[in-house]
Amino acid sequence: MSAATSALRMQGISKTFPGVKALSNVSLSVDFGRVHAIVGENGAGKSTLMKVLSGTYLPTTGTTEVGGVEVRMRKPADAQKLGIRMVHQELNLVPDLTVAENVYLGRMPRKWSLVDKAAMLRNAAAVLRELGADIDPAARLGDLSISQQQLVEIAKAYAANPRIIVLDEPTSSLSEHETAALFKILRKMKQSGIAIVYISHRLKEVLEIADDITILRDGSMIETRPASGITAAEMIRLMVGREVTNVFPKTPSTIGAPVLKVSGLGDGFSFENVSFEVRVGEILGLTGLVGAGRTEVAKTIFGLSAVTAGSIEVHGKPVTIRSPSAAMKAGIAYVPEDRKGDGIIPSMTVRENISLAVLRRLTRFGRVSMSADRKLAAKYARDLSIVPPDPERRINLLSGGNQQKAVISKWLSANPSVLILDEPTRGVDVGAKAEIHRIIGELVAAGMAVVMISSELPEVLGVSDRVVVMRDGRASPAIERRHLTEERIMALATGEETA
Amino acid sequence: MAILSGIARYRVGLILGLTLLVASLWVPGFFGMTTLGLGLDRGASIGIIAIGLTVLLIAGQIDLSGGAVFALSGIVSIVLQPSLGIWPAAVVGVAAGAAAGVLNGILAVVFKVNSLVATLATMLIFRSIAHWVTASQPVAGIDIMFSLALAKVYFDVFTVRSALFLAAILLLHFWLTRTVPGRNLFAVGSNASAAEASGISTDRMMFLGFVFASTLAGVAGVLQSLATNTGSPVFGSELTVTVIAAVVVGGTRLEGGRGSALGTLGGVLTIAALTTAMEFQSVPAYVQQVVAGLILILLVVLDRTVRTGTRTHAAAVASA
Amino acid sequence: MTDIALTMRDDLGNPRFNRGNRLVGLLSRNGLLVAILAVLLYGSLASPVFFTTGNMVNVLTSMAIVGIVVVGMTFVLVVGGLADLSVPATIACGAILSLALQPMIGPVPAFILAIALAGACGLVNGLLVGYIGINPIIATLGVGTIVLGIVQAAVGGVIVYGTDPASAALVKSRVLGIPTIALIFLVIAIIGNFVLSRSFWGRWTTATGGNYNAAQASAVPVRAVKAGAFVITALCSGLSGALLGLTLQSARPLVGTGYEFSAITAVVVGGISIMGGFGSVPRAIAGLIFVQLLTNIMVLQGVRTPVQGFVLGLLIAGAVALDVALRKRGAV
Repeated sequence: MSAATSALRMQGISKTFPGVKALSNVSLSVDFGRVHAIVGENGAGKSTLMKVLSGTYLPTTGTTEVGGVEVRMRKPADAQKLGIRMVHQELNLVPDLTVAENVYLGRMPRKWSLVDKAAMLRNAAAVLRELGADIDPAARLGDLSISQQQLVEIAKAYAANPRIIVLDEPTSSLSEHETAALFKILRKMKQSGIAIVYISHRLKEVLEIADDITILRDGSMIETRPASGITAAEMIRLMVGREVTNVFPKTPSTIGAPVLKVSGLGDGFSFENVSFEVRVGEILGLTGLVGAGRTEVAKTIFGLSAVTAGSIEVHGKPVTIRSPSAAMKAGIAYVPEDRKGDGIIPSMTVRENISLAVLRRLTRFGRVSMSADRKLAAKYARDLSIVPPDPERRINLLSGGNQQKAVISKWLSANPSVLILDEPTRGVDVGAKAEIHRIIGELVAAGMAVVMISSELPEVLGVSDRVVVMRDGRASPAIERRHLTEERIMALATGEETA
Repeated sequence: MAILSGIARYRVGLILGLTLLVASLWVPGFFGMTTLGLGLDRGASIGIIAIGLTVLLIAGQIDLSGGAVFALSGIVSIVLQPSLGIWPAAVVGVAAGAAAGVLNGILAVVFKVNSLVATLATMLIFRSIAHWVTASQPVAGIDIMFSLALAKVYFDVFTVRSALFLAAILLLHFWLTRTVPGRNLFAVGSNASAAEASGISTDRMMFLGFVFASTLAGVAGVLQSLATNTGSPVFGSELTVTVIAAVVVGGTRLEGGRGSALGTLGGVLTIAALTTAMEFQSVPAYVQQVVAGLILILLVVLDRTVRTGTRTHAAAVASA
Repeated sequence: MTDIALTMRDDLGNPRFNRGNRLVGLLSRNGLLVAILAVLLYGSLASPVFFTTGNMVNVLTSMAIVGIVVVGMTFVLVVGGLADLSVPATIACGAILSLALQPMIGPVPAFILAIALAGACGLVNGLLVGYIGINPIIATLGVGTIVLGIVQAAVGGVIVYGTDPASAALVKSRVLGIPTIALIFLVIAIIGNFVLSRSFWGRWTTATGGNYNAAQASAVPVRAVKAGAFVITALCSGLSGALLGLTLQSARPLVGTGYEFSAITAVVVGGISIMGGFGSVPRAIAGLIFVQLLTNIMVLQGVRTPVQGFVLGLLIAGAVALDVALRKRGAV
């Protein structure tokens, strides 16, 4: 293999989904024996690029060369044949098989057409030892901790003698010590000539391990640089890289007494010791990287998952919330992040969706009063200008923004004192986004307290009065908007700055 | 929790031991060779169907039509005896079972109909065909002597059928634990997308699982019909619950990915011991059904409420 | 960027509920009416007996017994509970107890107690499915086996005969030429339609079947709603069984065998998806009318019972596969 041959050379890669360009003219060149990091914000195109690389997506335009030969990968098996192995963020392992069987899944060693268990255990043990992982290859995978499973996933990729390994957020479930061990492994792989693509938004780790860094933003490649010539602050600037204009006009409102107060909240799994309060007429932004535990906090406050520690107060009174209906009684409403999964009932009309949470109020002698039901739907269709203004239309025929308005209507009809909005403008077009912001502004002006979860930094900065940044299940103190910039939020979210 | 999950994991042995203890106290001479042989022969029909169902459940699918295939294959093997002779008719009977499995596989794997619903419908279809062919009357075979030979007890314990069952269960154990397709089967039922990503054809394995399950139900049905020299459209109607109960007692999980041949053996022996003991004490058939149903429900509830082992990251996140 | 991607997908909408459903709707609503008319036409041409009062009364009576179960089963399918296989057991419970208890506590209390006990079986089903999360088919299969065994044990495993001719006469009577049983069915259907289409409970049922997570996040008591569908079905089959027992004046343990399939067939032929989320009682009854008329003609034409079962099985498999296939086609 001559030094001139790149392990991977992608040129002019674009990926278009019907009407959308998810990747536009991205070029990437990874050499054997080097670690190439890809960084970018949520939604910058990292995962699309990864799917192109793994053969899940065929790019719309552009060429891919592996080891100097042009290839077209149509399915994951094609990529695997070329020696490309993925280490996924969501583990792709079989909990009911042993560690060794997982490492060799799909290509177990055979002897007289039987599984050569002894050889498999021996080889797996050797690979694990080489990776410095202290894991019994005969253990059942499901009995291991998540970080051990992550190491098995890496061992599985490594054992296949790949030419290129792609790691997607491999350290998200590892401790510092385990991360250090992983880096030792990666360096060893590097020395043996493997090309490593390392996708992460942990900038400190990227600087530590990467030789080259490519920054993606909004589906485009911004820059590729050697890691020695860049700092974390510079990376953040390139990742964010926007002109800060105030596209989110803030409606002035008077901030009053605390409405919702959360102290030391934990669910024993994805977050711990989260404390904040939100006041009358205030919008509290809750942000952080995907997986930091924001949605889990919201779901716990709303009674969709169990509280294991801490307390919740509404209007100064402690409340116990074990179900969404208890949360509703306490005056808390939640517009979920996953609109399709948790927000709408697709088979029902807009009217039926809007009145779902308050049906009992519209019921006389068991019968839902159609006139009250229609009146409620008509009111919100008008107030929130749902388009088309026909509440009898089935909700899944509406655009994303209008579905979202219907889901917000559902909760406004319950007259909550706190409204938690989880990514309220995700997947809606620009016009609907501005409208939703206007609605939120009007609500707080009318005295409601709003918690808005968002990954989109301009939105967080434009709309919130104060911001809480979460990282790895822990929350920063609430910070006034005027003390914040996108760079500072990103630094808090990635752990560059500790609050 | 550790104790509970330990009990849950080794429950087959525990349940079997308890059953045998109760049976021996309740039925004098329960451990006599004749009783054991009878129990084993009784368990063989359940057991052969259970072998097929174990494979299918590990792959994460289910088949409710086993009892109907049992009847249909038996009828085919009896009805065709005059024209084909005993052996060829038996082969055609088993083939009919395999064909039934192909139909199940097409519905559940190709058309992606929920396997519970698909096999519920085919159960009705197969049972109807059985009634249709026989005009709802039992049909008799041509050679009663052959049946007697089949029912003969060797070495004081084994009949042909029970020996076949025990051999098959050992083969299944070997296949599940030692062969590559056997191990891949667990991957398919435990995490189909991971299996698919590792180059295992999950659809193909599931399809073959349906064919295998129905073929074995066919084998059991043919053996039953040959042993009784009768084919009857009502044969096997109570088997569905019993077989599922036996497999679930054996620690095979309804959600797929977990199960073992030896566990199924334990489950089948438990059910066989129970039914034999109850029959010796002249407990009516419907009470036996109550016991089978209770065991099934209790163990499924146990499976749902006590988790054995930790879950994977994905599973934990999904349920969180 | 991803925002736009999601918006685009939104515009396509959820295929399960528009294109696929529109086709299913077309086939099931108009197609079903056409099919019913065709069967009526064929019946009147092919058999001189078909349009006689006697035959129509027979059809109505047998339709009523199954129909009461169909009303309940509709709830199970709409809520996303797949199917209730304990129907034969709860029918037997209704039939056997309503006759067996007559000498002890009188016909009316026996009737009520029989239905209440059937409802209790439904409660067990509901707890297992709604609260513990057991697969409905396994749960109802197991509970059905247990209940059937207990009922048989309670009466010693024999056939039970009626002892109160007055109640038998009442059930067999006619009002303005229409069998009383058919009127009872009509009342149950109207109540069922009210609950499913007009009451908050029905709205909750549809929401739970349409999107369990979203219903839960909308403060709908999803577990109770799911359990409720099984209680409703058990009460309906208990009633159906009690009426059946009084009509026949005898009840054997297997009296309810096959009713679960007839009911499921009617509901899925009515175009109600086995995946839940939409459906109405009138739709299910349209499916029932079609299946019943078809069966009746088969009987009149001398088609044997097993063939009828065969046709039922094909109808279930066909209707479900069609539903799945249409949805899949829509999803591409």
